Amino acid sequence: MPIAVELRKLIRSGIHRIGELEIQTDVYGYPYVLCHWLDSGLATESALGGLELHEGPETAREISTFAENGTYRFIKGQVNLKRGWVMALQTEEELRQALDQFYPASVGLFLAHRHGALEIENLRDKLQRQTGMYRFARTISDAGAQELVRTVCGPAHQCAKRILWQIDAHTPLDDSEASRFAGVPGDLPPAEAIPLLCREACNHFVAECRRVAKTEAGQKAG
Amino acid sequence: MSIAPKPHSALLIVGHGSTENPDSSTPYFDHAAEIRRRQLFAEVHCGFWKEEPSMREVLYQIDSDEIYVVPDFISEGYFTQDVIPRELELSGPTTVVRGKTLHYCLPVGIHPHMTDIILRRAREVAPGLDPAQTTLIITGHGTGLNQNSTKAIRDQVNLIIASATGYAAVLDSYMEEQPFIADWHQLSKTPNVIVVPFFISDGLHSYQDIPVLIGIEPEIGPAASQREVFRHNPHHLRGKTLYYCSAIGTERLLADVILDQVSDFDQIHKLL
Repeated sequence: MPIAVELRKLIRSGIHRIGELEIQTDVYGYPYVLCHWLDSGLATESALGGLELHEGPETAREISTFAENGTYRFIKGQVNLKRGWVMALQTEEELRQALDQFYPASVGLFLAHRHGALEIENLRDKLQRQTGMYRFARTISDAGAQELVRTVCGPAHQCAKRILWQIDAHTPLDDSEASRFAGVPGDLPPAEAIPLLCREACNHFVAECRRVAKTEAGQKAG
Repeated sequence: MSIAPKPHSALLIVGHGSTENPDSSTPYFDHAAEIRRRQLFAEVHCGFWKEEPSMREVLYQIDSDEIYVVPDFISEGYFTQDVIPRELELSGPTTVVRGKTLHYCLPVGIHPHMTDIILRRAREVAPGLDPAQTTLIITGHGTGLNQNSTKAIRDQVNLIIASATGYAAVLDSYMEEQPFIADWHQLSKTPNVIVVPFFISDGLHSYQDIPVLIGIEPEIGPAASQREVFRHNPHHLRGKTLYYCSAIGTERLLADVILDQVSDFDQIHKLL
């Protein structure tokens, strides 16, 4: 079934949130409206509550590139999406295109996970396939990697994804706020949101592994 | 070359991306939007090495069972020959990955039509300039690690020389190997010089590093999205008149070259 059709079914089943986005339906004649969830009350007020109107999905990347303080959101799961705007969309396909800009592949990953078709890659496998300057990252210790999850991942460190991977097949992540996080920012029942899923460590995490691996190697040599 | 619509196929534009400079991935999204407007494919997506969606995840957001993968890279090399095949799990020109058929096209930068785009850029940045009094310099990164990155530029230089455009000289130059772009005034014998950066985006190298190397900026400035460098042409310095273009990959016509690589793939692999 096409992703856009599945998305429509999800919304009809009561899902109205993905990441920091609130998905509203039938607002002022628009079939779908997106905004920051903290602005969702404004979006239904007259004149859209003063929110800046964006028609169509084309500006989704522009809205989501920088945080309010100007920092570059190179990881889209960061919990610092700008507020003050509302995006009006005419079709499920437009909605899908917008969501793929705000949270790349997240709807598809969620659907694959539901259908049991999501391939999860553990950290050791991810590091093992790195070449070039990132090859060295594979030398990181398990303890170093576990510590990195605590200090790099999770909403406290600006990432709202639910981590699905382990260190390796026999080594789950240590319990922490990051490893426990369900992928839904804000307090919402799981049935009302599409969680952001992390099926393998991102390249930012790999770069951090390389940094820690270099430090560990230096300590051994010293 | 015009391309027949492929209403049951997806186009996947693959780029490098950056965790530091958001302008780095802007051209990919611009080209994707342009091609999407033409309604040639069922879907058009971008996938990245350094940004999201990663190449490992982008297939999850694609419905179509047939996907044309076009690397929006300037040359063949480490990324197009090692990283992209590894990340997308490609084993040849056509590979079936988790039930989807992926066609791996050649990178945009090596297509012969890039020559027309360079010449068009040069004419746009310096309209009315007498070519006989002008040196055209195509500049790239250059690295001792991979000869292919300089080959793509040398090939373009040779194609432009062969097309008899009237430039007094057409030269290649590099940031990190000889002939160095920093020596542009010594490499050029003419009063006018046009420098075209052979990069995919106005990221760190073409927008921040090279302007310092050629002397039009005293120090590395902020990213392109935060100011305008290209409006100041021409620059009168080192006894010459210098015109500096934005990166060749930002040219709108790159969308056509992406489509050319899809057409070429079909031609070469007899998929027509």
